[in-house]
Amino acid sequence: MIANLYQPINGEIVEIIDESPTIKSFVIVPQSAFSFATGQFVELTLPGEGEAPFTPSSSPTVTEKMEITIMKAGRVTERLHNCAKGQPIGIRGPYGNGYPIDEFVGKHVYIVGGGVGLAPIRSLFLTLVDRIGDFKSVVCRFGARTPADFIYKDALLGPWQKLDGVNIKLTVDQANGDWSGNVGVVTTILNPKDVDIANAVAVVCGPPIMMKFATVNLLEYGFDPKTVYLSMEKNMSCGVGKCGHCMLGKYYVCKDGPVFTYDQVCKYPKIWE
Amino acid sequence: MERAFISRLKPFLDAVAEKMDLYVPRKVEGHYVCERYEPGANDAVELNAIRACTPAKEFLFPLRELAAVFPEAVEPKEVKPFAVFGLKACDLRSMEILDKVFTEKEFEDPFYIARRQAMFVIASDCSEPGESCFCNILDGQPYAESGFDLNVSQVEDGYIIAGGSAQGKSFLAAHAALFGDVPDALLAERQRRRDEVRNQLEKANVDFELRAPVQEIVERGYESDVFDACAATCVECQACTRVCPTCHCFYLYDTAQTDYFAKMKMWDSCMRIGYAAVAGGGNPRKLLGDRLRHRLMHKFAYFLERYGVDMCVGCGRCVDAEAGDVDIRVVLKRLSDELTGKGKAVANKTK
Ligand SMILES: Cc1cc2nc3c(=O)[nH]c(=O)nc-3n(C[C@H](O)[C@H](O)[C@H](O)COP(=O)(O)OP(=O)(O)OC[C@H]3O[C@@H](n4cnc5c(N)ncnc54)[C@H](O)[C@@H]3O)c2cc1C
Ligand code: SF4
Ligand code: FES
Repeated sequence: MIANLYQPINGEIVEIIDESPTIKSFVIVPQSAFSFATGQFVELTLPGEGEAPFTPSSSPTVTEKMEITIMKAGRVTERLHNCAKGQPIGIRGPYGNGYPIDEFVGKHVYIVGGGVGLAPIRSLFLTLVDRIGDFKSVVCRFGARTPADFIYKDALLGPWQKLDGVNIKLTVDQANGDWSGNVGVVTTILNPKDVDIANAVAVVCGPPIMMKFATVNLLEYGFDPKTVYLSMEKNMSCGVGKCGHCMLGKYYVCKDGPVFTYDQVCKYPKIWE
Repeated sequence: MERAFISRLKPFLDAVAEKMDLYVPRKVEGHYVCERYEPGANDAVELNAIRACTPAKEFLFPLRELAAVFPEAVEPKEVKPFAVFGLKACDLRSMEILDKVFTEKEFEDPFYIARRQAMFVIASDCSEPGESCFCNILDGQPYAESGFDLNVSQVEDGYIIAGGSAQGKSFLAAHAALFGDVPDALLAERQRRRDEVRNQLEKANVDFELRAPVQEIVERGYESDVFDACAATCVECQACTRVCPTCHCFYLYDTAQTDYFAKMKMWDSCMRIGYAAVAGGGNPRKLLGDRLRHRLMHKFAYFLERYGVDMCVGCGRCVDAEAGDVDIRVVLKRLSDELTGKGKAVANKTK
């Protein structure tokens, strides 16, 4: 009999980390080692409640556990937020293409992210710094609504800033407390002089409106549409190119994506909706 | 045995029903639906003139099915062999289309595949085109030449039964006592009847003839107002996608039972407003016109690009089922007219 592609493997939530008022990271131990490439996603089932797609935010080099960072956004995510340690869960995947890291070799990697979009970006970041010598530099421009909304704050403000070959700038839409950094949407900290654009690729992940404006800026700066990598978020169900929910033009985002170059998707209308 | 003659269908169907469950067409309120054939009880025999109103996908991909169980996974149930009588050429094409999706390498759907392998396909020629049939517009024809185990063609004094697969041919050989030979004259008669029905179909559909390849028509008509205009009467009943034998959208949902959790798989429809909505309120196809455009683009451009065939067989079920009067033939025709009209205008300008 052919393996059942709708059957998740069992796993358990072993730790829950509060990242922001609306975002938590869940450390999950699958019943057997689970490999994925950075940028690939999984379908996470809360038994009896529902299933939703998430991109692991941990490094793919760790296979005995993985971290998934989840924003409370609706029915299933809210129930996940109400779970406690020890909660059994189901995992299907990994699905999709992930980031084409080998195509980034020898280039500057210019990463623009916001909100819970930093989840896939953290996995990518950890993958890149593991072999930082392969890239000209890794430049990060991240935004959040308020300082409290930044996830992975400890790493972002501390050790990541000090890594060789890495340059990180942060911004918030609204400052409060002791925030002394930039205030403004993420596009206000983008600068065409940040990297040598002819030798760079850009990675964008975040809320649709942020992705839209960041992409417009990047193209204006001279990024080739073929070098702007976008994580497209679409409604998903099966994750395996059958149910049709995630279609973006001719693409199944679950199977052909979720990472696309702007060049691939720009001919379709309403890609940001 | 390649082909055989039989004067009455009943002994043939009884022989099939002896080996496996058999489903046959029955006329209910002017339409054909499939029912279980039970020799001695429910065994009236009817040869359907056209496809049933229910799509063949129901046999392979039911409205709702169990897809997974936890915490203890269960093996998918074994499917007993079953036969369906009265499938038409369009039905066979629709199954070939579903095969592309559900038997795709590395992403095989075990439930679909189990049923597909268990299905014994007994096709038959269409004897009179239905009002909404337009398979000829999409390179189809009212009789099948492949894709069946057995095919039944009515002739003057009986039926020619042709074997299409090894299983079909061995069925004929195993029941040779039931059958007579098929002389060439009978084959000629079968051809005459087939040509006659094809001619009727072509005549009935002259108004819907397309003047360019259908992929080009939808792709170049992408921005056309025709989609909004044609969707204006749509009431979002989603019947078009339910009865369509090639539409295969579904969604997975989870339920709690007393002692286990289940993941169910259920048909869905791209014409439903929430179909593509995401958390946070985004929805790329809020408008009905956008959904109609997507449905046709999927059928005639995206699917073709990916799998090499159109995702519509011209069976006309959606035309019959529509509560909102959206006729796929009319949408295509209007796009085609617009395209060829435009084509002329462009040619004039460049002169
Ligand atoms: C590839 C990919 C990666 C993602 N990665 C992350 C990530 O790392 N972190 C993160 O926080 N978010 C991520 N998301 C977004 C996340 O998947 C959504 O926020 C989540 O699906 C919302 O589900 P919900 O039930 O809470 O929201 P709802 O608003 O209740 O549902 C959202 C949509 O999902 C559908 N849906 C919801 N429940 C069901 C159901 N039971 N059956 C069928 N359909 C249903 C509905 O059509 C609804 O429109 C990702 C999305 C994609 C596509
Ligand atoms: S779109 Fe309509 S005509 Fe085409 S296969 Fe589906 S139901 Fe039949
Ligand atoms: S999620 Fe089902 S086709 Fe992509």
